[in-house]
Amino acid sequence: MTFKYVGKSCTRNDGVEKTTGRALFVADMKFPGMLHAKVLRSPYAHAKIKSIDTSEALRQPGVFAVLTGEDVPGPFGVAIADQYPIARNKVRYAGEPVAAAIAINERAAHEALKLVKVEYEPLPFVIHPKDAASEGAPIIHENLMNYHVAPYVNPVGKNIYQHFKVRKGDIEEAFNKADVVVEAETWFPYIHHVQLEPHCAIAQYNLDDSMIMYSTTQAPFVVQSCMQELHGMPLSKIQVVAPYIGGGFGGKSDITIEALVSCLAKAVPGRFVRLLLTREEMFIGTTLGRGGYCKYKVGVSKEGKILAMEGESYLGSGGNADYAVNIVTGMGLAGTGPYEVPNLKLDVYGVYTNTPPIGASRGYGHPEVHLPVERLLEKAARKLGMDPAEFRLKNLLAEGKVNGIGQVMKHENGNVVLCAQKVAEELYKSPKPDKGENIMVGRGMAAYMKTPCMPTNVQSSVYLKLNVDGSVTLATGAIEMGQGTYTALAQIVAEALDIPYEKVNVTNKVDTLISPYEWQTVASHGTWGTGNAILLAAEDLKSKLKESASKVFDTDVKNIKIEGDKLIYNDKVLKWGDLALGYKNPDGSALTGPVIGEGHFVPKGVQNPDPETGQGNAAADWTFGCVGVELGVDKTTGEIHIYRLLNTIDAGTIVNPQVARDQVLGGMTMVLGSTLTEGIVFSEDKGNIRNNNLVDYKIIGIEDMPEEVLINFVETPEESGPYGAKGIGEHGAVGPAPAILNAIYDATGKDFYELPVTAEKIMMALEGGK
Amino acid sequence: MKHSIKVNINGQLYLEEVETSMTLLQFIRDKVGLTGTKSGCENGECGACTVIMNGNPVRSCIILAVEADGAEIITVEGLGEKDKLHPLQQSFIETGAAQCGFCTPGMLMAGKALLDKKKNPSNEDITEALGGHLCRCTGYKSISKAVEVALSKNNRN
Repeated sequence: MTFKYVGKSCTRNDGVEKTTGRALFVADMKFPGMLHAKVLRSPYAHAKIKSIDTSEALRQPGVFAVLTGEDVPGPFGVAIADQYPIARNKVRYAGEPVAAAIAINERAAHEALKLVKVEYEPLPFVIHPKDAASEGAPIIHENLMNYHVAPYVNPVGKNIYQHFKVRKGDIEEAFNKADVVVEAETWFPYIHHVQLEPHCAIAQYNLDDSMIMYSTTQAPFVVQSCMQELHGMPLSKIQVVAPYIGGGFGGKSDITIEALVSCLAKAVPGRFVRLLLTREEMFIGTTLGRGGYCKYKVGVSKEGKILAMEGESYLGSGGNADYAVNIVTGMGLAGTGPYEVPNLKLDVYGVYTNTPPIGASRGYGHPEVHLPVERLLEKAARKLGMDPAEFRLKNLLAEGKVNGIGQVMKHENGNVVLCAQKVAEELYKSPKPDKGENIMVGRGMAAYMKTPCMPTNVQSSVYLKLNVDGSVTLATGAIEMGQGTYTALAQIVAEALDIPYEKVNVTNKVDTLISPYEWQTVASHGTWGTGNAILLAAEDLKSKLKESASKVFDTDVKNIKIEGDKLIYNDKVLKWGDLALGYKNPDGSALTGPVIGEGHFVPKGVQNPDPETGQGNAAADWTFGCVGVELGVDKTTGEIHIYRLLNTIDAGTIVNPQVARDQVLGGMTMVLGSTLTEGIVFSEDKGNIRNNNLVDYKIIGIEDMPEEVLINFVETPEESGPYGAKGIGEHGAVGPAPAILNAIYDATGKDFYELPVTAEKIMMALEGGK
Repeated sequence: MKHSIKVNINGQLYLEEVETSMTLLQFIRDKVGLTGTKSGCENGECGACTVIMNGNPVRSCIILAVEADGAEIITVEGLGEKDKLHPLQQSFIETGAAQCGFCTPGMLMAGKALLDKKKNPSNEDITEALGGHLCRCTGYKSISKAVEVALSKNNRN
């Protein structure tokens, strides 16, 4: 199928705003009488709050209010109501708010907080999820079993708030039959999203029980509903406005600072209050990502078929879990990687830890489990003496195969075999390059799959407003945080209405009072969900235009034809714009009204998985791909140089190749960092984050980028997506870590299972001969 | 303590009283009201706040406003002409180098300082000029490409 606008690298529609400094971010906004807030954060990872004295702080000039946990409502949470806007009675991570001051400026608030006296009784703390789940670990939420939870959450007790099971076939029998059994334990460390834009929210509460909040959020409608849960205001009076967001990657989804800021605003009715986090506070006071420990065992036959897989995984989830429940689900749904596993037993545990809360993070749930699966398959292939690429090809989830949760793979799910073949062909097309005697060159690959793990009935809605000049405005509740969603959605509008791309404009902020409802902009779901809503809105707009035209021409609707931007009946012609605001009769009287298209989309037939077996139609769609890496390891320094980074992905129809390619590259680059240089480091004595700045927490810079990056698309149309499209925002993040570790093995003969693999670790392994 | 400073920003002269502790970034954003320059870390670690001061790219978050007394500053708002985009702005748009847009002003200023100084910068020069400017969206390829595209346009004109 060929399209006019879909499939073209149309120029991004936010480019001029963002290159001229005119794009407005929350921290750029000022309001009359705006006050500033600062937060006092716990220095302890786990402690009882014995007392707090704010009296002296309150007496300081310029200070309007100082709040503690006793002054704010709670608990709240979407999946588990386990958190307070400000800690009450105890703190569960270093960085948790214990008090907040509102003052005339940031400095006065900061100075006031120095006078708040907090008495703590430190408690034993636990950082690693495996330790937190073990016998005798300090209990982080004593009241877990009494918490209000969503129906799909199954708290077990102690620190385990969720247990997700997948059961299929008979693993015991299958392991007995296996010719080769391989086992490994892997660790994907806690990471930070490191969005360049710090979190910021500005809110004002009014005595008519209304609130307005400007926030750096991917989820304005979730924030709106949280504020209602906390304060009981009517939803119709909660206006959450999200302008452009300076990077999200999941770290600005759900609730981060908004619950707290809404409480601050309530404390000073009529005044705007702003909270802008410092870089350090972003590390310690927002959500982190990953924290996945996995213990996997895989049994294969000598012919190279996977017979059985057993996995026990623990997701470290922080001092309050809430959204991490969905990461646990992701680790279960994607727990086999893109392979057919006839006998399967997976147990994924969500575990409280004394770290900042773990939230959504690009690809959540998927990179964590692809690490053990792809490392073990590499190991199994080696033991069998089989080519690793060939071994993978024998087991991939091709059309007709059944995945871990019992879904039969359809043609539209994509061609994972072709993706892997293309990467293997490219990766191994020529002999390894000679990079000198100190460099050991290695190659590795990893196939991957990804589903948008999300609630079963997430909603997307859009309006298409037709203007008299024939241009169209798309109103959407989706957030533009850099991923190019407004460009892709404008292309879908242009295609659906058959009008030039340049004639489509997209509202550049979301406002919960006037924007159509959108669940939230996460899970690579926008192009697919919002795109589908656009198709419906376009049909609605066209049928309303025909209806108006039929009145003007005084004929039946079915006689009206649409050609381009014209409505035609015999030799009579109207332009769309003529009807945009309604048609006037020659005597001046109105004949028809304004035209606006509406579209609402919700995925059908997606179910919660069976709680005992994990089986069911629990994944809305699947996307497959494969990563290849060629790298060099410097024997003398342990440094790793990535030479080639390959990714072939079947993400359905690609709406905008330039934007899509950069999404894949961005995702891969992020995980290059997790694999080689990143990873949150906690102090052993206090459990606080030691590398809470951009020097000690090193993300990939331009000088670290591979020489060659090759991203290719296989475009099997997704039946349920607009013009065959589906999401692509997170997928680049899923495969690189195991592909790099496989390449390091190929280069050095050393197996690594824990990230990050730093130069120091490489040197230790090379010297120790481990 | 207050100081009186005179700073030329984008061709406009500003005469202001500032506290000793005020950074150039705060001066530009809060006093002058030019919010195109972004604050990402306030520690000179990310490069988002880069402006051009007397011809050199500097991190405005670790320079005091008083140090800029008498200086000529160019911010992202001063790039290009009133009614025409600068070649770098055009090339950033063309290559999709601005994703979330938060590191973009700093990247643009680093790119401009390079192109102003070197007529034919090598790829290594480009990497060095953009080194230390963090971007979490792009993977950098589109950004270095944008600088190359602007360079080739400059040389054609």
